[in-house]
Amino acid sequence: MSSRKEREKRREQRLREESPADRGDRRTKLLQVAAGAVFLAIAVVVVLIVVNSSGEGGGDARNLKDVAAVDRLLGGVPQDGLVLGDPKAKVELIEFGDLQCPVCKAYSEEILPELIDAKVKSGEVKIAFRNYTIIGDQSTAAGAAALAAGAQGRGWNYIELFYRNQGVENSGYADDEFLTAIAKGAGVDDIGRWNKERKSAKLTGEVSATTAEAERLGLTGTPSFAVEGPGTEGMEILGTPGSAGEIESALEAAS
Amino acid sequence: MRYPTEDNLRRAIAFVAALGVGVATYIAIADSGGGAPACLAGGSGCRTVADSSYSHIAGVNVAIFGIVGYAILLGTAFFANDLARFTGFLTALGGFGFSIYLTYLELFKIEAICQWCVASAVLMTILFGLAATRLIGYAGAEHGGGARAAKSDPGAGQPA
Repeated sequence: MSSRKEREKRREQRLREESPADRGDRRTKLLQVAAGAVFLAIAVVVVLIVVNSSGEGGGDARNLKDVAAVDRLLGGVPQDGLVLGDPKAKVELIEFGDLQCPVCKAYSEEILPELIDAKVKSGEVKIAFRNYTIIGDQSTAAGAAALAAGAQGRGWNYIELFYRNQGVENSGYADDEFLTAIAKGAGVDDIGRWNKERKSAKLTGEVSATTAEAERLGLTGTPSFAVEGPGTEGMEILGTPGSAGEIESALEAAS
Repeated sequence: MRYPTEDNLRRAIAFVAALGVGVATYIAIADSGGGAPACLAGGSGCRTVADSSYSHIAGVNVAIFGIVGYAILLGTAFFANDLARFTGFLTALGGFGFSIYLTYLELFKIEAICQWCVASAVLMTILFGLAATRLIGYAGAEHGGGARAAKSDPGAGQPA
């Protein structure tokens, strides 16, 4: 206690000896350093934000985005394998896609949500996704991973979440870590089962089979759409329509 | 322009920093078991933010940094000297800048809002205002405890 009193005494004496001019100098210096610190802090925050903004390349297993948005889009819509919508819907829209394909991503984000809200949620239309892998080996692995998620009722969550986090095609981003992160984000419950099934000959064979089907149909790129319903004679090829309106017209004609 | 007395500023800093320690400690404890803070207003924002990789830096939950920052600010409220004023200002400035960055991450990268993180950001913003007022108003002052002290010291309590 005595040493504390002594320290306080010494401090009071030091302050008494300090002239108002000295205190003014000290104040000016402190405020100058504080102003410098403010500029430095602003610079650091701006750099951090710019660095983070430039990392929008996608394909980042550690930072999945739009998990909640995909849940909102697909919430309450029945799923069976890679078929989205009421199984009894009379009209079926078939999408042949490659999960690595950037145009498919654009369709998934800009055109399909409108169709899902307008036609699928009402039970009029169901959408079937079929793998048409044309980009690379990882497209096949991704397609089989989507089918394995479909076996647990989360196939469309897998597809939609994959598209929204898609990286640069064939850059190698769609590795096991990325596929697993998508599965977890898509809400696949049994990751062990999913992991086993996605590597099975049955599912990789199914990816090859739908790819062969697309080639047989004469499709030349992804995404390609086809429609089937009471108003069509079998499967009617739409190709790659330019807008949701075009697809909706085809669906109405097929109903 | 007259500033609040330094004693009042110190009391306010102590109060807000103590709240901050509470909020940051709650977030850290909720996260420690692999869980997430409970969003009182409902929704899954807190879970989404807690599960994001941005919630940890070098394996350390960002809430731990918050606890340290608030604790330092709380400590500076117990001393009326330039070291405490300047340390408080720098800590609050760092915390305020970090809060801006974390809010940016919530809005544009994680795309989810956790109300506990927002509460912490608001508290840190208030603390930055208080600490800046304290430094500008009383830097160089012997003790800016009351109006008399502020008047007796040129530059203190009535900065140019």
